[in-house]
Amino acid sequence: MRAGNSQFPDCRVGAFELFSERPVKASTEHSPNGRSRNGNAEPANRRGTIRKMSETTAPQRTGRPVGDPRAEPDRPWLVIVWNDPINLMSYVTWVLQKLFGYSRPKATQLMLDVHHKGRAVVSSGQREKAELDCYRLHAHGLWATVAKSD
Amino acid sequence: MTPHFTPAPDSSVTVRLEEYEADILRGLIGELRAVLDLQLKGDEVLERLFPRAFESDADEDNYRGLVREDLSQAKNEALRAVASGLGPSGEVEVTLPRAEIDAWLTLLTDLRLAVGTRLDITEEKMAAEVDPGQKDATSYTVLHWLGWMQESMLAELDPMSPQDAERNDQ
Repeated sequence: MRAGNSQFPDCRVGAFELFSERPVKASTEHSPNGRSRNGNAEPANRRGTIRKMSETTAPQRTGRPVGDPRAEPDRPWLVIVWNDPINLMSYVTWVLQKLFGYSRPKATQLMLDVHHKGRAVVSSGQREKAELDCYRLHAHGLWATVAKSD
Repeated sequence: MTPHFTPAPDSSVTVRLEEYEADILRGLIGELRAVLDLQLKGDEVLERLFPRAFESDADEDNYRGLVREDLSQAKNEALRAVASGLGPSGEVEVTLPRAEIDAWLTLLTDLRLAVGTRLDITEEKMAAEVDPGQKDATSYTVLHWLGWMQESMLAELDPMSPQDAERNDQ
């Protein structure tokens, strides 16, 4: 996450097309709209921020299979928010307050955990609740995942 | 400088943008709409806007079946709300109800995620000074400007008073 910028940069630029068209690299292919777009032959270079981050920061699997909730009713599902380099710290705090009704200090602490430790459990419960919470976080652009608690 | 976001006691917010600022947002919104409409397979921006929730493929397929359409709809609605607030051209001065302000915040986030993902952004790249001569200088400048906008907006908002929120803490 990023702390906010205090300065207003000079933004009088006319160049849009900032992200709808991918930068052309080694080779190109044609997208359905007829535009040329990046068709990089290196799969590794096509990975998005998310996948890279999950590879580098996701915890090792414990080897325990995802449990049948009927067989293990006591282990809740956890909703985890992961650090990302784009979302602002103030925005993440605001989202946690808005979605979960957390106080400013609690939301700030969770945000700082995400920032410094790479991840934080922001809610937990039955699978349906965890999925709904994850959906709401995704709707707000946060990188969230759901996992069965160990 | 005229403030960009001015809250009123009824929790509505007045948004003021210069024409060039509004035009940047209009352009980016058009691009985001294209990304959402095209749904190109393997598009990193879509992967970031619709991230994976579960490690196992079966759980993930189930989750996508449940939420993907709603998520897509939510993003398109935020996009439409902001586009409507901006109008088709010119400078902007519009007073918005609180719910629409939330749509602005999430839309600004989606735009930042899209621009940042195309830049293959990292913490280091994000923290670096933007050199006007560098290849992606425009994208970086816009990314930081969107963040500045979002920060200014958040500074005017209080999502809920601490007293109200405290009761929900565990």
